[in-house]
Amino acid sequence: MRSLWRAPIVARHFHRVIYFVLVVVTTLFTLSLLSVAIQDDGISLLELVLLLLYAILMFWISGSFWTAAIGFARLMLRRNRDGAHVSDAAITEHPGREGSDFKVALVMPVYNEDPARVFAGLRAMHTSLVETGRETGFEIFVLSDTRDPDTWIQEEMLWRRWVEELGQPARLFYRNRAENTARKSGNLADFCRNWGGRYRYMIVLDADSIMSGETMIEMVRRMEADPHLALLQVPPVAVNRSSFFARMLQFAGSLYGRMFAAGLSFWQQNTANFWGHNAILRVRPFADHCGLPKLPGNEPFGGDILSHDFVEAALLARAGWKVQLADDLGGSYEEIPPTLIDYAKRDRRWCQGNLQHARLILARGFKSLSRIHFAMGVMSYAASPLWLLFLIATGVEAYFISLKVPVYFFGHNMLPIWPESYVVEMTTVLMVTLAILFLPKVLALILLARDRNEARRFGGLPKASLSVLIESLLSVLLAPVLMLFQSKFVAAILLRTTVGWPAQQRGDHQTGFGEAVRAHGLHTLIAFAVGYIAYVHVPDFFWWFTPVLAGLALSIPISILTSRTSLGLLAKNAGIFLTPAETEEPRVLRLLDEQQASPLTPACAIASMKPLWTKAMMQPCAYALHDSLLRDEPYSRRRRHVLEGLVFQLQDEGVDSLSMQEQRALIAHREGLHLLHTRLWAVADAPMSSI
Amino acid sequence: MGTGVIAEPAEVDGAQQPWGNSYQWPQPFDRPGVERRIIGYLHALGVHDRGEIASLSQQVLERVEFRAKVGHAGEPLEAAIEETHLLLDQWLVSELALDGDANALSAARAAVLEGAVPGWTARWAGRSGESLARRIRAARISSVPEPSPLLMEPNTIRLCCHGFGKRLVARIGRLLGLGGGESRSAGEHP
Repeated sequence: MRSLWRAPIVARHFHRVIYFVLVVVTTLFTLSLLSVAIQDDGISLLELVLLLLYAILMFWISGSFWTAAIGFARLMLRRNRDGAHVSDAAITEHPGREGSDFKVALVMPVYNEDPARVFAGLRAMHTSLVETGRETGFEIFVLSDTRDPDTWIQEEMLWRRWVEELGQPARLFYRNRAENTARKSGNLADFCRNWGGRYRYMIVLDADSIMSGETMIEMVRRMEADPHLALLQVPPVAVNRSSFFARMLQFAGSLYGRMFAAGLSFWQQNTANFWGHNAILRVRPFADHCGLPKLPGNEPFGGDILSHDFVEAALLARAGWKVQLADDLGGSYEEIPPTLIDYAKRDRRWCQGNLQHARLILARGFKSLSRIHFAMGVMSYAASPLWLLFLIATGVEAYFISLKVPVYFFGHNMLPIWPESYVVEMTTVLMVTLAILFLPKVLALILLARDRNEARRFGGLPKASLSVLIESLLSVLLAPVLMLFQSKFVAAILLRTTVGWPAQQRGDHQTGFGEAVRAHGLHTLIAFAVGYIAYVHVPDFFWWFTPVLAGLALSIPISILTSRTSLGLLAKNAGIFLTPAETEEPRVLRLLDEQQASPLTPACAIASMKPLWTKAMMQPCAYALHDSLLRDEPYSRRRRHVLEGLVFQLQDEGVDSLSMQEQRALIAHREGLHLLHTRLWAVADAPMSSI
Repeated sequence: MGTGVIAEPAEVDGAQQPWGNSYQWPQPFDRPGVERRIIGYLHALGVHDRGEIASLSQQVLERVEFRAKVGHAGEPLEAAIEETHLLLDQWLVSELALDGDANALSAARAAVLEGAVPGWTARWAGRSGESLARRIRAARISSVPEPSPLLMEPNTIRLCCHGFGKRLVARIGRLLGLGGGESRSAGEHP
């Protein structure tokens, strides 16, 4: 937060007041414009609804606008003053330093993720740490909640191979949780309950997180420098995807993201938020204050807290600890969904967790800013149905206006009285709204124009400007599609339909025609139906509405085309959507590439046959390794009979007859494992030659 | 494999046998077929020396025959695999002087079968006098560090207005004298 204190003196003490006054004044100003435009002869109920929706939505987008604008100002000041945006302060505190006796855990919770990618990422980070020469004291913990037996076995094999490579003292640990209670938050809590006392800090990662060694060392230094700091979040930059859609988001995240992060850290100060990963936490206060209760009631609003990160940050702040956003720290990366449909699927998973926070906004004891974080989480999904309602209300209002027949001659007047026109006011409202939405993009380009080196890293100012233009146009087309997706998710949750918690689709893959039609067929139909109705009944409104209709009508081809990696690479070759991570690939990302190009050979050299788990359990080496990672349990006749039944089922009816839980049960207990291994070897036609 | 596997063959309890106790072997059983399976399994374990294989397979066969004699029924091939495992485990227990620690035995088994202890097959087959205890212990890898627990109890989050409607109705009911049941919100802690 060093640079924060270089802000002008007024900003130092009144940061939140400044921010919220700006947001409220902007909202009131735009609201007054709209009310002038629609209140020609009093105000109807529909118009009142319109104004209310507009007020909420304007508050939401002007909050975002002023965050970006303040971030812009801070980055300009920072550049003028020290010319650097990544702190490379002298690193004096780290676990391996002489006299320091603490350890830092790099914890990676995983749930059915691609083991090869998980270990490649960890190895890249470990190598990056080793290259700093300060890796002593860091330990890596893979916290597996994986349920899929094949993935589980692969994780173990890769862990074993790597741990052999690393040698002594052991710095790499692995455990698979017997029950994945409370999902990721339960996984982290289980870690704290069992091994938390061993570590002063933990750096929480996601399966697709990458952090450079320098950044991790700097995070530790900052935590050591401030004993009241419990959580330091480093904003991750999206990298490594090749599809057109993902490259566009990566570009937007890289260019605008730093501005938003600088703005957020300005007004959030010591009550910032936790984004779930790429953050360092002080373990003891985390254990003391972040044990999450179940919310009363049933899912979707009750039960386990799904989006745990916001709540954990709020609980730390409630207990008086600082939670900060290190907007000036780089070297933090993540990977994003490659296609529009995958993006929507991720939204579906996040939506329920964020809406659940609605119950916490008014919960007792939380800081005001934590309540705002909860409200922002809710609004990030509730905004979509509100926009939809606003559009519907606008259309209905336009229809009613179109029914009015103008009367030009009143009483005995000889001259006609022309109806009052509000086109100028409506246009002003539209222009102001668009300015609020798009001005941050212009500000980001101004930042680039001020810094030639930075502009070069984005492919040069002309190419970056062209990229912003294309990104803005595509955002306009994609926004109504995401609006309908999110509105559907919100409606489903309000109707008490729970959403699953499937593993995220990672890695580049492309959307096929069938998948696109299934996902967007309804969007296209809606576009044509609404377009027809509007064109026939409210033709004036139709033309105002075309950007929304165009996005929906073209959703199928847009979804297919933007998922194409060939198009993404074509854009890359043309210098479009270039990011600093592409033009000057950071060392840790190069290390990741290297790890993925020459992946770790699994221990026991298990064949990549499916189902892997049965093949592996036949091989004594894999069997023995897996057995050694299970805990001994007291003998239970009942469990034994169940497991015997499952082995018979496997033998008689094949692997597909067993559910994933049953498959897991067979290899989750030493008894079952032994039965399985022995029976597989004892069958008459045991394929010994293939082992 | 658990503690059951550490037991001596004669101690194997019918109730704990993985193959159950209902199957009776045909007498005499297919000895060459069982021997082939034992040899195949020893190969898979990493035993490739002919002398070692001969020695170990002979021991296993004797155990299988002993089980048949004492009436511990089961499928012969399963019994052969089971006895090979028992033989390996008993050697590890004696080599490392383990005292029934199933986790330590399991880790040692993983270490030798992964190939981290060169020469272990000769020692197992009784063809080497050099103790491997130190090397096996060194090759054992613990997947987690020693426990260092922290208390992490669920925190209280007092929701606003949770169950407000029910509480209001209950209060009105009490005021009107219509039952006096306590109504406490699930979000409120006593």
